[in-house]
Amino acid sequence: MSARVLVVDDEPQIVRALRTSLRGAGYDVETAATAEEALTVLAANPPDAVVLDLVLPDGTGTEVCRELRTWSSAPVIVLSVVGDEAEKVAALDAGADDYVTKPFSVEELLARLRAALRRADAPAEPVVELGDLRIDLEKRAVSVRGEPVQLTPNEFALLRVLARNPGKLLTHGALLREVWGRGYGDESHYLHVYVSQLRRKLEADPARPRYILTEPGAGYRLAERP
Amino acid sequence: MVGVLASAGVVVLVSGVVALLKPHVPVLSLGALYVLAVLPVAILWGTALAAIVSVASMLVFNWFFLPPYHSFHLHESQNWLALAVYLVIAFVVSALAARARGRRDDAEQRRAEAHALAEAALDLLRGRTLDEELGRLAALTAGVLGVEAARLELGEQRPGEGEQALPVEAGLRCVATLFLDEAATVDEAVRRRFLPSLAALLAVVAERSRLEAEALEAEALRRSDALKTALLRAVSHDLRSPLTAILASADALASPGLSLEPADRLGLAETIRDEAARLDRVVGQLLDLSRLEAGAVEPHRELWHVDELVGQALAGLGDDAARVRIEIGPETPPVEVDAAQVERVLANLIDNALHYSPPGSGVVVRAESGATELRLHVVDHGPGLPPEERDALFQPFRRGSAGQLGSGLGLSIARGFAEANGGRLWAQDDPAGGHLVLSLPLAERPAAVRT
Repeated sequence: MSARVLVVDDEPQIVRALRTSLRGAGYDVETAATAEEALTVLAANPPDAVVLDLVLPDGTGTEVCRELRTWSSAPVIVLSVVGDEAEKVAALDAGADDYVTKPFSVEELLARLRAALRRADAPAEPVVELGDLRIDLEKRAVSVRGEPVQLTPNEFALLRVLARNPGKLLTHGALLREVWGRGYGDESHYLHVYVSQLRRKLEADPARPRYILTEPGAGYRLAERP
Repeated sequence: MVGVLASAGVVVLVSGVVALLKPHVPVLSLGALYVLAVLPVAILWGTALAAIVSVASMLVFNWFFLPPYHSFHLHESQNWLALAVYLVIAFVVSALAARARGRRDDAEQRRAEAHALAEAALDLLRGRTLDEELGRLAALTAGVLGVEAARLELGEQRPGEGEQALPVEAGLRCVATLFLDEAATVDEAVRRRFLPSLAALLAVVAERSRLEAEALEAEALRRSDALKTALLRAVSHDLRSPLTAILASADALASPGLSLEPADRLGLAETIRDEAARLDRVVGQLLDLSRLEAGAVEPHRELWHVDELVGQALAGLGDDAARVRIEIGPETPPVEVDAAQVERVLANLIDNALHYSPPGSGVVVRAESGATELRLHVVDHGPGLPPEERDALFQPFRRGSAGQLGSGLGLSIARGFAEANGGRLWAQDDPAGGHLVLSLPLAERPAAVRT
């Protein structure tokens, strides 16, 4: 049985292009043009994944996402536009799994969707192997090309959060909460610097990272494939 | 109080002198000495106190020096006459002295007023704006009016709590309002004389500022008009050519009369995709430029290592990124900037360098840290730029003679974002080829990071 995807966007051309492409990729597609319609469809017949525009005529995708998350864990990919980074991060913090920026390529959207659906099924692995990088979450051991890498407690805590969600985009806020708890303070300012340090220990070329990827203005993710 | 004590002192002093001279001089003539006591009192404290001192002096003189002693009685009638004459002389002298003093004070006050106005006029003529000067003008005015503090605001205003408001009027128009402490008292004559002069000055300067602002606005409009014309010309070219390609390709795909090989269909679809992407870039650049022109760019500053920012810039450049060599040492300190904006700067610089490098040659991005700034050099092996063209490089809608692609918006946007983040961007002389330098201020907070 093919996965069902709900596409929520109020622009008919975009809905048409997405419906054609998603059907071509083997998904069953339903569509909704407003937040209200989306919530109705979501409640009546819960889909396996949602592609959600951030700007809807009667609300924001963020609101839909927050509502959906109260009873469903189906992956949500939001469609954002350049210049709307704050709303994008709000949607991700409200439980969206990933985003693509308009105009996006269908290939990219399909890749994100596949990954999100795969993650929704897969249990967390105690050992994450990624190219030359091996992360053993239980033994708290990290190695590159078989060579053990010494990480500080904060660096390991960061890497552990990323490794527990391979491929998933984690916002700065989510990372800070996971690593330092709700009461994080100055760390928010230094998060990027911690990530840089981690990269220098793990990546062959930190300026062209293969493992820890930056999502500009949103957060970081551990690559699924190097 | 000081006046009364000083008056008493001076009377005692003169009485002492009279007592000393009494054995040698006819005592009645010594009464004239009391005029010397009255004179300074009149000059320093005015006629009222001087009159009291006059009467007191005569009584003291009578009591101590005219027989019978220690009594206000007088034996001889000529003594009465002398006392009366002395008293009249003391009154007249004190009145004359007080008047002279008043004239001197008045002249001094007028001099201060004229000086204050001249100083204010000079400051305002030096090109300081009225708003900058209001504080200083208020202080000058407070000095002239002899009050401790004053505040000036343009236009007619109501006083706040504990304040009194004096209108600063030129003719019938209230140019500004002067606020004084409620308890402050102001000499009416000074107020009537000084405030209208101040008002006249303020009115002239306000008018001048208004005319200047209008001229500036006109100039800005003219420049933005020129910019719009250039923009429209560039936009019509840079938007139309991808649109033409897209329209033609889509027409071919949708036309039932054309028999197309699968490879052709793919080629047309790819053209549509690539040209749409190009269109997206141009629209993005125009958006950036308009935000920069409108001053609507607010950097969200965070600590970043530049290799990360360079990495993000490279990630957006696709396959070409492989031609870029990065020389950024691990000791390079972090900068505090808006990552998205600086990434845009770097992407534009690297893209520009790649565009002008001859095929097969690479681009180098090198970091150099100084005491207060970090410099990122983007170096290519292209033709470089003659010095006279270097500044024009950063003007929108210009492009180096060697290139034809794009509207030349990239570098102007790059400079805009660099400056919004407290940095600078310039072209450096380099015989080897193109060489652009981006300098970013180092993070002010300590770079020591807890690990």
